[in-house]
Amino acid sequence: MSRKTTTATALIALGVVSALSLTACASGTAGTASSATKVDGGTIVYGHQQEPACVFGGWIEQAYLSSQVLDGLVSLDENHEVVPWLAESWNVSDDQLTWTFTLKDGVTFTDGSALTAGVVAYNFDYWLAGGNSTASVWLAGYYASAVAVDDLTLTVNLSKPYPRLADNLTQGYFGIQSQEALETRTDEENCEAPIGSGAFVVDTWNRGEDILLTRNEDYTSPPANAKHTGAAYVDSIDWKFVADPTTRAASLSAGETDVIYDVPAVQWKSLEAEGFDLQKYVTPGRPQQLTFNTSTGPFVDEDVRKAFAYSVDRKSLVETIGQGVIPYEGNGGVSQATPGYSQAAADLYSLDTDEADSLLDAAGWTGRDADGYRTKDGETLDVVLPYGAGTIINADGASILQGLQEQAKATGFKVELIPVPQSALFAGEYSQPDEKDISVGYWTAVTAGILAINWNQSTAEAPNYNNASFTNYPDLEAIILEANSTVDVDAQNALYEKAQEYIADHALAIGVYDRLSTLAVSPSLKDVWQENAQGGPVFYDAYFVE
Amino acid sequence: MTRTSSSNDTRGLAGPRLRRVAEKLGGAVVVLFGAATAAFLAQAALPGDRATVILNIRAGQAIERTPAELAQINDQYGLQHPLLVQYIDYIRGLIVGDLGVSYQQFKPVSEVILQQIGPTIALTVTAIALAWLIMIVWVTLTAGRTGRFGGVGSVVDTTSAGLPHYWLGIILLLVFSLGLGWFPVISGPSLVGIVLPALTLAIPLAGFMGQATRTEFERSLEQPFVISARMRGMGDTGVRLRHVLRHSVLPAITLSGWALGATISGAVVVETVFSRPGIGKVLVGAVNSQDMPVVTGIVVLIAALYVVANLLVDVAYTLVDPRLKSA
Repeated sequence: MSRKTTTATALIALGVVSALSLTACASGTAGTASSATKVDGGTIVYGHQQEPACVFGGWIEQAYLSSQVLDGLVSLDENHEVVPWLAESWNVSDDQLTWTFTLKDGVTFTDGSALTAGVVAYNFDYWLAGGNSTASVWLAGYYASAVAVDDLTLTVNLSKPYPRLADNLTQGYFGIQSQEALETRTDEENCEAPIGSGAFVVDTWNRGEDILLTRNEDYTSPPANAKHTGAAYVDSIDWKFVADPTTRAASLSAGETDVIYDVPAVQWKSLEAEGFDLQKYVTPGRPQQLTFNTSTGPFVDEDVRKAFAYSVDRKSLVETIGQGVIPYEGNGGVSQATPGYSQAAADLYSLDTDEADSLLDAAGWTGRDADGYRTKDGETLDVVLPYGAGTIINADGASILQGLQEQAKATGFKVELIPVPQSALFAGEYSQPDEKDISVGYWTAVTAGILAINWNQSTAEAPNYNNASFTNYPDLEAIILEANSTVDVDAQNALYEKAQEYIADHALAIGVYDRLSTLAVSPSLKDVWQENAQGGPVFYDAYFVE
Repeated sequence: MTRTSSSNDTRGLAGPRLRRVAEKLGGAVVVLFGAATAAFLAQAALPGDRATVILNIRAGQAIERTPAELAQINDQYGLQHPLLVQYIDYIRGLIVGDLGVSYQQFKPVSEVILQQIGPTIALTVTAIALAWLIMIVWVTLTAGRTGRFGGVGSVVDTTSAGLPHYWLGIILLLVFSLGLGWFPVISGPSLVGIVLPALTLAIPLAGFMGQATRTEFERSLEQPFVISARMRGMGDTGVRLRHVLRHSVLPAITLSGWALGATISGAVVVETVFSRPGIGKVLVGAVNSQDMPVVTGIVVLIAALYVVANLLVDVAYTLVDPRLKSA
């Protein structure tokens, strides 16, 4: 089924919905404003869009699930401060190479085994050994070893200073699992129901339908930024997989779900009008951006990259298609929700076709072919832009890319948009420098340290295939690595900003829009919030009202 | 249809019947083997390195992987062997009933399928039954009519046969679930939840079968036996139901075997729209993530269902048309 059909039908469907909602929803969900009393128990029915293969793993869908079941060492609060979770306190040695975490006393995993420093050390080694590739990417290059000093004292030894280690550990990939479970159970058991010390326990997974999570009655270890202590208020969470966005929104209106994830931009206003609580979280890290291939093709020439940046009006495009829900992002390095964000880098390019034209003229792209595209020595200014359709780029994103294609045509760029299905994308199609001129995509993170993952040089000893420019920039890497190891936050942010400005000045990447995590919550359910590391839903504090 | 010689008949029925069963089974094995081979080759022909896919899907990243990372996965799933060796291993597994282990779910494919096949079979069977019901009522009421009402029957057939599942599903969902509240929006595996998904599959199918049946129906209405029945004083409805219908449904029975495949592929869309568990959804997920053991397992299973359905169609033929019994 093509995306285009889906969008078109969704729009038709929307018309029908609005017509029906006039009659159907009057008796429905709105109207709990006054005299709402808190009730204990109940099941939160949550409609999520994608079913992962496992509850635990390296991508965001899994991080959302595992953070219901696994506690982390630390959590991130709404001011972006790291606060205690399983670790009560932590400190760093003067040389910045030894981190000491003191664990909460008396925490047990749901299989009855105790949380000890040895177990946490085991988890670190497990991530690095392939247990979680995303966790491993964050620690690689810095992690040396984790050692249990005593039952409740853990030291993490680093090879280089990494002052934002704790910040990174707040991501859902770093959930602590029972060592006993990891060692004695099968891969299948740990995939379907990892054992943690979290507020909920995996009860059953009905593949293709839902995962039932039940309350951990003996829960003692909520993060410091939770709104209460003790066990969760609700009995269980029915984590349903509702892939179709129209169905998801309809299920909420019909009262079949209490919360839904990923609210389509077109349904945002109508759900808000029906009385649902709409929550929006801009994920820090890399925004949806375009990275130019600077190793081969037309974008080797910096002027051509800048000309492209001046050819497109990203802001108005995002604001039109995003209906005011999706934020515009000019910065090609990190999103506006990321600490150390550079506004200057974000503002460097805006629509200026005269400037684009003169840059292209100067670069020798002076000819025009029959369709009006620029040529040079008989070659058309043809740029290939493949994108992960339906996975990395959703329907709204695809429309934005089509808009960019149309705009760039005016100055003579022939942009070949190629939707790539998930299987081909993950199989490595269009991953090579000679296969594409522009890479598009996002990467959630909690710090601007994501720059290191995206821009560190690729060497024989340490290949970095995450660098989509396919070119090594030693100057840029030096700035980022210095930033990564700088203790003082202001000085660190200044360096991160410098790195973003380097990316912008050389037009290595330009931003387009910010990746969002959105929720729509029924008015009969209170205190659902989005955790601050990746925007996943937190149901621990949630309760129903009557 | 094979005709047995009269000399065989004198020795009793056991011989030819056994031979027919053996032929059918032989044919079934060939079909299954072919399906399994085709599925294997199709997957092997897909671009990219399979170990890379497995790692990238697990991590949600589309990047190149280091040799060390790849070696671990290759070793685990035997992907370092030449394709022929992998193929022989795979076929050997099939023969002993081992479909392999899912790359993404870490569990046996047979288990993945067993968990999901029930809802899809229920959906498919319900859809085919509903399609028959709708088709028979509609064709019996409208076929061979003249005047203003004449053309409507076949126009409706043609229109409904062309309705896209996604569109029809969303409309039914919005009208009957969200608007009228008669059915749940998220169907799940519940009994009442099966109605709208099954209707979504049944309506186009009924249109399709209706087109074939209507032609036969109208031809039969002009046969001498119809005229003689009418002359005996039988009413129109009686003639249509007792004589004409029986003659006209043979093409639809043939189509039912095909319909099984069509509804399973339609189930992919319908299961997504109505949030039903099922094999269609698993297949899409598995194809997307190149979870090859799951894909090949499901393809072989669907081939097996086809074989069974065709056997049932054969049986139904003989029941409906007794002349075929001697064959």
